[in-house]
Amino acid sequence: MPGINETVKEVSWAIMPVTVVIFLLQITLIRLPMEDFLQFLVGVVLVSAGLIFFLMGVHIGLIPIGEIIGSLLPRIGKVWLVVLISFALGFVVTLAEPDVRVLANYVDSVSGGTINRYLLIYTVALGTAIFVGLAILRIILNIPIKYLLVGGYGLIFILALFVPESFISISFDAGGVTTGPLAVPFFIAYGVGVTAVLGGRKTTGEGFGLVALASIGPVLAVLILGIIYG
Amino acid sequence: MKVFVLDGITHVFIEVVFALIPLIIFFLIAQILFLRLPWEKAINIIKGIFLAFIGLTLFLQGVHVGFEPAGRLMGEVLGSMKHRWILIPIGFVLGFVATIAEPAIRILNYEVDKVSGGYIPKKVLLYTLCIGVGFSIALAMVRLLVGIPIIWLLLPGYVLALIMMQFTSPTFTSVAFDAGGVATGPMTVTFIMAIALGVGEVMADRDPIIDSFGMIALVALAPILSVLTLGLLYAWKERRND
Repeated sequence: MPGINETVKEVSWAIMPVTVVIFLLQITLIRLPMEDFLQFLVGVVLVSAGLIFFLMGVHIGLIPIGEIIGSLLPRIGKVWLVVLISFALGFVVTLAEPDVRVLANYVDSVSGGTINRYLLIYTVALGTAIFVGLAILRIILNIPIKYLLVGGYGLIFILALFVPESFISISFDAGGVTTGPLAVPFFIAYGVGVTAVLGGRKTTGEGFGLVALASIGPVLAVLILGIIYG
Repeated sequence: MKVFVLDGITHVFIEVVFALIPLIIFFLIAQILFLRLPWEKAINIIKGIFLAFIGLTLFLQGVHVGFEPAGRLMGEVLGSMKHRWILIPIGFVLGFVATIAEPAIRILNYEVDKVSGGYIPKKVLLYTLCIGVGFSIALAMVRLLVGIPIIWLLLPGYVLALIMMQFTSPTFTSVAFDAGGVATGPMTVTFIMAIALGVGEVMADRDPIIDSFGMIALVALAPILSVLTLGLLYAWKERRND
């Protein structure tokens, strides 16, 4: 587990380079009024502090949940129960994912509330949950990931033909935000546990693919939401 | 001069309560039914969730009072400039530097190292990704300036990925598709996205809902194509060795 110094370093490294570029752009090209630029700096401080606390919380409290539950699954033995637990985890983890919240808030504010943030968040969480369940089923049944990727993306592009344009960009973005600072380490920890015990075969490589499949679900879910809305 | 720091934090606070309660309920049910962790461990987990709670509140508050309004204003300034094309190189630079220090890439490095037996040097992977993401955000800016439907970019991108997949090993494929998430780091989704929203809002013939969103999807595609390219190189080297 990375210590606090490591986390602080990690977060500063993730945020500083963009901040420096923005600072240079501000003094050369953008020249926002000082008041507005100060709000940017307030954002830098709050977002950095927030990420530091959040990542420490993820390491102390959330990744262990993934690891422990992942490693306990074989004792349960029933495939349907394992899939159900994976589904539930996919749902609750997505609700807590910071990037999902940010995207939903932006969509809500840009659309003037037409696309409600909570509706979007729960749709994304449901889509992710279904695909986390499917991804675990894939590991248990030993189905090559290729088929699921081709099938998933095939379905996405077919559905996209029937969805109002205002939903298309958002739905693809929804696939990108579910793989944020919580979900990625969480599901890697969970998937490794599941593979190690359920598959009974070598673990390298097979635990991967969980994150990839988890980002197909939300795209499909938001596309379907778009069809219902439209 | 007035600086906003805590404005609207009650809303954010309530949002975060609802974001984390399902996770807490899930954990408690699991703990009672089958986990039965010793108290020490369970309390550690509760502590972790509490830290995540504080963190998520500060993070969302920072986006709400800082990144969103400032990013949109900057986008509006850039979008109403005479030489709007400048957004394209700016997008490239922002994408490049947002990725160069992204911590998630270290995990990816480790995985790629494992599947390629160290054949692909860390620096090569990192710079391939940075250029890939820089290119994606530049492309997102081109889209905003010209108004290209997102499908026209994503469909060829994914078709290309599916074709490349046929020529790389399944392990590389898994790693590549899992890598889609690593590039959409905290600055991209919050701040760079807000700039794109500002540009979309200020340009008369653009709708930010259609033209600004889609950027994250383009960024997510970059690492997939980057890792698959390296996978092709690796497969080519393997074949030559046979």
